[in-house]
Amino acid sequence: MKALRQYRMPPRNQLLPVLETCGPVDALLMPPNKPYSFVSYKTAEESKKAYVTLNGKEIVDDLGQKIILYFNFVEKAQWKELGLQALPPGLMVVEEIISSEDEKMLLESINWTEDTGNQNVQKSLKHRRVKHFGYEFHYENNNVDRGKPLPGGLPDICDSILEKWLKEGHIKHKPDQLTVNQYEPGHGIPAHIDTHSAFEDEIVSLSLGSEVVMDFKHPDGITVPVMLPRRSLLVMTGESRYLWTHGITPRKFDTVQASKGHKSGIITSDVGDLTLSKRGIRTSFTFRKVRQTPCNCSYPLVCDSQMKATPPSFPESEREASQLEQEYVHRVYEEIAGHFSSTRHTPWPHVVEFLKALPRGSLVADVGCGNGKYLGINKELYMIGCDWSQSLVDICRERHFQAFVCDALAVPIRGGACDACVSIAVIHHFATAERRVAALQELVRLLRPGGKALVYVWAMEQEYNKKKSKYLRENRMSQGKEEEVSSDMPGPELLVEQVPDTGHKEPACRMPSVSDFQEGGRNSREVTNSKLPVHTNRTSFHSQDVLVPWHLKGNPGKDKPAEPFGPGGSHDPSPVFHRFYHVFREGELEAACQTLSNVRVLRSYYDQGNWCVILEKV
Amino acid sequence: MKLLTHNLLSSHVRGVGPRGFPLRLQATEVRINPVEFNPDFVARMIPKVEWAALLEAADTLHLVEVPKEPIEGYEHDEKFLRKMHHVLLEVDVLEGTLQCPESGRLFPISRGIPNMLLSDEETET
Repeated sequence: MKALRQYRMPPRNQLLPVLETCGPVDALLMPPNKPYSFVSYKTAEESKKAYVTLNGKEIVDDLGQKIILYFNFVEKAQWKELGLQALPPGLMVVEEIISSEDEKMLLESINWTEDTGNQNVQKSLKHRRVKHFGYEFHYENNNVDRGKPLPGGLPDICDSILEKWLKEGHIKHKPDQLTVNQYEPGHGIPAHIDTHSAFEDEIVSLSLGSEVVMDFKHPDGITVPVMLPRRSLLVMTGESRYLWTHGITPRKFDTVQASKGHKSGIITSDVGDLTLSKRGIRTSFTFRKVRQTPCNCSYPLVCDSQMKATPPSFPESEREASQLEQEYVHRVYEEIAGHFSSTRHTPWPHVVEFLKALPRGSLVADVGCGNGKYLGINKELYMIGCDWSQSLVDICRERHFQAFVCDALAVPIRGGACDACVSIAVIHHFATAERRVAALQELVRLLRPGGKALVYVWAMEQEYNKKKSKYLRENRMSQGKEEEVSSDMPGPELLVEQVPDTGHKEPACRMPSVSDFQEGGRNSREVTNSKLPVHTNRTSFHSQDVLVPWHLKGNPGKDKPAEPFGPGGSHDPSPVFHRFYHVFREGELEAACQTLSNVRVLRSYYDQGNWCVILEKV
Repeated sequence: MKLLTHNLLSSHVRGVGPRGFPLRLQATEVRINPVEFNPDFVARMIPKVEWAALLEAADTLHLVEVPKEPIEGYEHDEKFLRKMHHVLLEVDVLEGTLQCPESGRLFPISRGIPNMLLSDEETET
């Protein structure tokens, strides 16, 4: 065993022959980007020979640089096992499916300057270039417009190629949609599944100009990197098309198998065989067949056709309410915790005011504390936070706050122990009026007599006293920002009572009375159909019970400029999560508090799109 | 989880009520976290502490010299306050369990975070 120490390693194809002058090389381990490598020979004699004859040897690399090899013996090297991973089911890579001549012809056939007037816009440094044939692909909803086929269909030159593939059995159906993508080194495409309802099972992609490594990821988390050689055809069917996501990491180099050269297959984790490959300009021709009927695949959980068939509805029982909250509140916060936390950094001034006004040494509970935004505001208090979301509580812990995981309906704190409580933007996540009241009841139970609680809930009236809330106001500037993009689910198809924006204090409909809460009434929802509508962010609420989209961004904290619009567009299918909210009407929160016997409402106010109450336990 | 926090926690398993306090503590990993001493703050905490529960928890963790009860004039007794400061605020249970004294239900403490969520069956009426 020997180690070669060098400031720069020569490439494998140059080093190996040199080493082999001393005997057959058992293995050559070249960790990427390191100035050292490990070589092992079959016998100790050969190793010794290499040390004697090659130590200090000068070689000239392909750049004309002089490299001196220094050898050392080492005891052991760790060799990773060659994990034989199978390709995702249904995936196939057919190598050298077209000739170099055809490759050249196809590349030259694409006229990139055709559609946009401005050539400079074309050469966007940030995004790959895109062109569609047959049907336009819309990135806003990741679907095609079936009713509007593009004139001209697929380019003529594709016809013969597709016929050949059909005859040779590489594809089973003739595609009618083509998307051409051009990736410069550094470009990529985020991980996604091609919309089920848009395209049939078979999706094939031809790689031209350069090879690339494409990552396939299973919902369980397994990632399989697959080499797509130049002039190869990637065929995705079945599980690889419907369940695994595929994507290309935006970078200029790929880690590839040195021994395999430019052959297709999985990139294994055998460190001994990895090397870096510089990307070139890669153009892909992705052929798909547009579906004319809803998708009926075997992967319903990731199928937009099948998920659309069972949208969530207003809960009819305690159990349904709990399940709705599980799916549309708890699960979502667990998924989005990191991103969510990064958008929740500015404490609301009136909440800060409340906390700072509390007597020194107060014991305060923050029920639904989220990322712990308020737990450190006043150092003179002993604050403990609790939240359903383990991920969010983890963030509190990282910030050295006291927090635990629990249900706001059953807070495991002994009754009467708290001098004060806060519950900011929490109670509106409960799906029934009874549960909302129960949450308030819990807060009051925690308080000692004379203790105070501050509650904030999202208001239905986003425009109050003729002033638009921040939530609405930010609509103007925030094109492309998260939480701004309009929902990609279809608009509500049901009759919803339109509530006019209240510019004045009198609400348009009757004030909820105490009896409504005691009945567990549905007064809050005056719709004829019980399906929950999906809200469009940054607009007024038209229903009290809504699903509000959250667009998850992978890199929280990174400032993303607005995406350029245009025929190329950019494919950025960030996952969308829907959170359940019951937005409160004016007076509703106060009325809910008044159903509790041992409570007095001290203050009731509107703060930036929220209804707020300060109550005291008597 | 600090011992002051433990002192506030109570089991909410259906039906146990006040018999769910105090939670029996068992710790497999404990750390001492230095916290700036604020005598005024500690003095204000003292009347809020359930002393028997604190003694039980401190005993489980083999903490020495925890006063049996607040002494007369404790507000000005720095020695006493420093002891309480250490016990209440500087001892941090990272791994362990909390057990409901009435139902026996165990709640895990992991990375300093107690998980007090009950299953659907335990909360169903």
